[in-house]
Amino acid sequence: MQALLKFILRYGNFLLFILLEVAAFLLVVWSNAYPRSSALSTANRLVAWQYEMVSEVTGYFGLKGVNERLAAENAALRSRLENSGQVTAGERPASPVVSGQWLADREQVVYREGKVVQMTMNGMRNYLTINRGEEDDVYEGMGVRNDEGAVGIVATVGKHYSVVLPLINIETRLSCRFLKNDYIGTLQWDGRDTRFADLADVATHLEVNIGDTIVTSGLSTSFPAGVPVGVVEECRLEEGASYYTVRVRLATDFRRLRHIEVIDNEDVEEINGLRIKDAG
Amino acid sequence: MLWLRQIGQWLVAMVLQVLLINQLQLGGVCHPFIYILPLLMMPITLPRWADMLIGLAAGLLMDVFCNSLGVHAAACIMLMYARRHLIPLWVNDTERLTDVISMQTIGIAPFLKYASLLVVAHHLMVFFMTAWTFQLWWYTLLTTLVSSIVSLALILGYAWIREKR
Repeated sequence: MQALLKFILRYGNFLLFILLEVAAFLLVVWSNAYPRSSALSTANRLVAWQYEMVSEVTGYFGLKGVNERLAAENAALRSRLENSGQVTAGERPASPVVSGQWLADREQVVYREGKVVQMTMNGMRNYLTINRGEEDDVYEGMGVRNDEGAVGIVATVGKHYSVVLPLINIETRLSCRFLKNDYIGTLQWDGRDTRFADLADVATHLEVNIGDTIVTSGLSTSFPAGVPVGVVEECRLEEGASYYTVRVRLATDFRRLRHIEVIDNEDVEEINGLRIKDAG
Repeated sequence: MLWLRQIGQWLVAMVLQVLLINQLQLGGVCHPFIYILPLLMMPITLPRWADMLIGLAAGLLMDVFCNSLGVHAAACIMLMYARRHLIPLWVNDTERLTDVISMQTIGIAPFLKYASLLVVAHHLMVFFMTAWTFQLWWYTLLTTLVSSIVSLALILGYAWIREKR
């Protein structure tokens, strides 16, 4: 007993060091495996509010008000335009302009305008904070886009703010398809250049041309089909590989990102409910 | 008074880090962290366990702002633990070293070595734990190197100005 006490006294600091490090590592593992708590992230009201204050100052000084009105109007118009399209199942969106249809024939997509309050750019795991949260009917898993194209998926929701997992985070996977032939692939970022991402699982029998348009597939509940994602920049076939390495130039310029729209698929509960029934 | 100034310095460093440096988006491999400067300069009069707990608190707060729960905490705990082992290498009488750790108090060359070692170690931990994979080994290493150099330039620049004054 005395020996143990002596040991603890002698090496107490080292033991505490190990203990704290293990705790910190567990915290990393835990937060990588499960959705982050909104209190311990930038969805935290106090944290996001600070960022918002700064972004207010750095925003477009004179044009700010005008910009906001235009963004809100845009979002409203887009919902109306696309819901009036009456695109029936199987029909491909003609162009990115009239995109945004979960292949159904009734109103189900609502766009909610919002602003990027802050963007953490610490290399490979980047996040956005937007000024829309639970009280604005924003929920986890909703897609986020801007006027250029897809931005990301809502990951953590706070009361007034949310954290978005953008396409430029190595964790993000987005189901996409070629506009010209509907072939599907998965978009993933490689952690380097924020202007490009890679499309995986593109079989070599397909004809891939530089400049081909890539849009969202509509296979997830986050995005409707046909939201622009990017264009093919490069297409390589590594030796011995059975899939192309397709480099996509992203439609969204993340460095200038400011106004966004959260996409609300009103059928999401029904779709997820069916999945659970199916599994059970 | 000494500690009040320490806390003030830490607040300024945090604000600069979160609202300025993190928002600059300097480029793919350049993510300097200057918020550790007050941790490096902290006097060594507190017990070691208190040092580590301060590291934990400073790291966790940074994590909340960076959406990187645990990463900065782990790196800062390591930094606070390691520095108490490094300082005796260059300072014989640590009992009498009650002031902040700076170029004046431990000498220019030792402070250079002290700061560079800890900055590189801290950045290594942060970037590899952020990547959470060794797939991008060289890229992460390059990020560590470039970011460490920029952080060090900023930290030593500040220390130098302080010295002149």
